[in-house]
Amino acid sequence: MIKRFYVHNFRCFQNFELPVAGLASSLLIGNNGSGKSTVGFALEILQKIARGTNHVNDLIEKVDFGLSFPRGPMRFEIEVEIDKTTYEYDVAFERPAGSDEIQVRDERFSCDGVLIYSRDVTQVEWTRTGTKEIVKFPFDLKLIALTWFQEHSEADPLRVFKQWLAHMLILSPVPSAITGDSEGANLTPNRQVTNLGEWFTELVTQSPAAYPRIASFIQQFMDDFLEIKNENIGRESRSLDVLFGRDNTRIKMPFELLSDGEKCFVICALVLASNFAYGPLLCFWDEPDNYVSPSDVGHLVMALRREFENHGGQLVVTSHNPETIRHFPRDKSLLFYRKSHVEPTQVRPIVDIEVHGSLVDALIRNDVEP
Amino acid sequence: MSTNKYRPHILVLPEDAADSELALGFFLYDPVALRELQVLREAGGWAEVRDKFGLEHVPEMRRYRQRYMVLLVDFDGQPERGDEMRKAIPRDLTDRVFVIGVWEEPEDLQRQQLGNNEAVCRQLARECRENRRELWNHELLAHNAAELDRMNGILRPILFPAN
Repeated sequence: MIKRFYVHNFRCFQNFELPVAGLASSLLIGNNGSGKSTVGFALEILQKIARGTNHVNDLIEKVDFGLSFPRGPMRFEIEVEIDKTTYEYDVAFERPAGSDEIQVRDERFSCDGVLIYSRDVTQVEWTRTGTKEIVKFPFDLKLIALTWFQEHSEADPLRVFKQWLAHMLILSPVPSAITGDSEGANLTPNRQVTNLGEWFTELVTQSPAAYPRIASFIQQFMDDFLEIKNENIGRESRSLDVLFGRDNTRIKMPFELLSDGEKCFVICALVLASNFAYGPLLCFWDEPDNYVSPSDVGHLVMALRREFENHGGQLVVTSHNPETIRHFPRDKSLLFYRKSHVEPTQVRPIVDIEVHGSLVDALIRNDVEP
Repeated sequence: MSTNKYRPHILVLPEDAADSELALGFFLYDPVALRELQVLREAGGWAEVRDKFGLEHVPEMRRYRQRYMVLLVDFDGQPERGDEMRKAIPRDLTDRVFVIGVWEEPEDLQRQQLGNNEAVCRQLARECRENRRELWNHELLAHNAAELDRMNGILRPILFPAN
């Protein structure tokens, strides 16, 4: 679970801290352009590092620097608790005066307060694993050091932390682009979830107990759902089909022909099953209610909240949907606010803001301000 | 996952946001059947609950005979609040409509350090499933006893089908 997430000088975030410590589920609300989705983009940078992207040019672009400080530093600091151990990772980027190139300014990683390594531009200081010996060595200023260190065991703090980051679910699905076809298998769904087939394949391979959970969830909203088939269509290729039936009639439908909303329910089922199979996970879902009918939104949101509130992990969703907003208590709802495009995002818990009457009505009136 | 109107299901009509959060606590309790419960938009006051029920829900309940409703109102310390609400329930629907709420208002639950609204209601849901009345017997909730007796036989199998 995130204990602290601090971002500075990244897009609309200046000296920004996301107040979700201790919240198993939380909702980000606010006008368009207030910075809600930017939380996902900021997390995604750390996730890319953990998934193996180590060159700054593949992580950050010039336009990502805030308007006020276009040369930086741009800073990301995350503190997470995993199995009662606290991991802290900070990384900062800059564009030195006279240069157009982005470089790493500093970086550090610690576990339960013990520094594992620190790095200042090109100089790394590393405490050799299992010893107190400090090793100093030069490092390429364009590369991230976190990805360089070898992991010595399953319990290696670097491995635990990177795996947690890599497994974060940062979702903003584009259902029309999700076909259900796959060329492999992995537990790393992309933001648009266009690799859903790979995610499904790896999930049910690694944890066969996940499939009944997926099926049971889907059956709750599609009465005639029978099963998902994931058949080989080539040496390395598979394709998802959904089998429906009632009485003696059966129909096999290619996954891509499901409606956008139905695909979102399948994604929700995979999120819940993933948290069960290889969680606890952090799930950031940008507008999970998109494409979902009003009568289903509340059930979808509560299914997600129930999983993360009761079974570990952390859920952060954004929404403009009145039904979603109603299904979060005010002490778990955060207002994102920005006066103009040249000013930074402010964030306040809704309970700290005076709201008269219905929150949804106040949002419609645009009366909710920090 | 919409509530299936042709199978037994429960709609909760809360008075305000605090009551709505109470109802959501029920949702969060794992054994509660997710699809059989729907929390409606808050009415805006106890009288509004009564009026909205009469105007919108009475005709719909007659149309959908598997529908049950819980009217979740603040009693504001008024012993007659429950009876006032029940007067608005037509005789043919009395077996399918229930009136419950906190003796004054839900905020009192936190003031008395029983927990936040969701946590309190999750505990109340657990007691319903286990047929216990500990938190339910708290002075802020004990006035619901007779209604709970009715609900126990009718709503419990809908809320906890796996029991």
